[in-house]
Amino acid sequence: MSQAVAEPTDAPPGVQERSLVFDQLYRESRDDVFAYAAGLLRDRGAAEEVTATAFERAYRKRSRFDPSRGSARAWLFGIVRNAALDELRRRGRQAQMNAEPEDLVDLGTAHPTERSELRLALTGALDTLSGGERELVALKFFAGLANAEIGRVLGTSESNVGTKLHRIVNKLREALDGDA
Amino acid sequence: MEMRRDNFDIAAELRALRPAPTPAFATELDRRAAAGFPPTSSPEDSAWSRLTGRLRAASPRRLALPAGAAALTAVVIATAVIAIGEGGRPTSPPRQVADTGRHDGERSSDHRVHGDETPAAGHAGLKGQAGLAYSFSDASPTAGAAASLSGGAESASGSSSNSGYLLQTAPSVTGAQRHVERGAELVLRSGPGEIAAAAKGVFAAVHAAHGIVLSSSIHDWTGNAGSHAGEARAAFELLIPSARLGDAMASLSAIADVRSRHESTLDITAPTITVSDRLKDSEARIDGLLAQLASAESDGERGAVEAELRGERRQAAALRSRLDRLQSRSNFARVSLRVESGRPTASDSGRWGAGDALDDAGHILATAAGVAVVGLAIIGPPALIALLVWLVNRTWVRRRREQALG
Repeated sequence: MSQAVAEPTDAPPGVQERSLVFDQLYRESRDDVFAYAAGLLRDRGAAEEVTATAFERAYRKRSRFDPSRGSARAWLFGIVRNAALDELRRRGRQAQMNAEPEDLVDLGTAHPTERSELRLALTGALDTLSGGERELVALKFFAGLANAEIGRVLGTSESNVGTKLHRIVNKLREALDGDA
Repeated sequence: MEMRRDNFDIAAELRALRPAPTPAFATELDRRAAAGFPPTSSPEDSAWSRLTGRLRAASPRRLALPAGAAALTAVVIATAVIAIGEGGRPTSPPRQVADTGRHDGERSSDHRVHGDETPAAGHAGLKGQAGLAYSFSDASPTAGAAASLSGGAESASGSSSNSGYLLQTAPSVTGAQRHVERGAELVLRSGPGEIAAAAKGVFAAVHAAHGIVLSSSIHDWTGNAGSHAGEARAAFELLIPSARLGDAMASLSAIADVRSRHESTLDITAPTITVSDRLKDSEARIDGLLAQLASAESDGERGAVEAELRGERRQAAALRSRLDRLQSRSNFARVSLRVESGRPTASDSGRWGAGDALDDAGHILATAAGVAVVGLAIIGPPALIALLVWLVNRTWVRRRREQALG
């Protein structure tokens, strides 16, 4: 999937340990980070830029990671989120987010031939969600974060995340039912 | 197809919609990761931006160590500079010299000199220092003098306390000699068994200056056992002609090591002139009364003039006495001298000992603490402002990010 992250060979043991942790984090999270960024930004080019920027920032700041304050993934996605939101601010994506998004099905690796009617309807239903709701969907279903990790990223409680996700899924289901 | 789905199916379908990176992007990102994410910034980026980027990336814990080391280094350097500026190796205890020299101004603030300066040199140096805050202009209008001679100035005439006149309360005198009361306190430290020689030197110095020994007391326990064993001390109260005070102090300071030395001046020109003028007035009134008495034609008139004359003569005598006292205070300086002699120590033998080390350490620590406090006072406010700016900026950025989500 990926190569090991480079680290100077004469680095102190602590740094080398961190490098192993970061290497593992990178390998485990690369696709998740991209999926979250793409789900939030709905722009493949911007998602790639944000993903690269976020990993670069995380690598530079890897010594500031404190395991006592949460998991490495939560820490990484906090950085990704900031980078993504900065990108939204810089490019004035607010309007674009509410305008014409790229087709999520096209963004994914799902086989185009297997596009189901449901997925198309679901893609449409996602457009009815607010930015914050779409972010929750991206963190939960695209990036695969646990509710506790999402809570850490968003600065809210795990139960609150669970409640919100339940409401979002219900909202999507109602939208699908309405279409049907 | 059945469109009604439960939440589980919707979650599964959402996961299936997960976007994935293209192989080209994934390969490129892996390559960058393998290279340690080299900065994508352009070579034109300034060294400052690279430095700030590094600082931002560094953890606070990592920054704390070099920042603390830098602060400590700054304190050490400042302390060393101050210690050197105070006269090289700090030797304890510092002598305190309050010297107004030959100035006619008011009592001065203390000026410190170190023990390794010779007394004569220190005194001479102080006399020559223009930086000491004694300035008194002799050239002032007389009108103000006449106005201020009565009242307030007179009230200070009887005072010989340490509180000097303020410049604005002292009347100006043109063409008249200033009357200045001078005083001094001197503490000497002689070697063990040298107290008698020191006392002899004091008497010789006073004699040479045509001074007067008002009182003297000498205690010598050098041959005794007990709590004072090996100690000796002597105390003198001296009157030295003011004109010879400088020479006398130099002679006295040369007798033994000077531990402390204070000199003071008090301008008593105003009360002296006031009393002198009142005396002249009184004498003029006496002359007038004598003339009246000579021309008195009746016994009653003669008796009245004589009564007035007696009163005026008492007044003149009192004024003359006060004028004599003031002139005496002006002509003679009172010197309080103590000579101490303790058990022999490393310091007395000229070697630097443990006591000196402790004193020096205390001095250095006090200086370092002072430097640190001054540094905090300088750095504190900007640091607080920077912290507030940082907090406000962070809050603002967070809000803007949340707003970006809508």
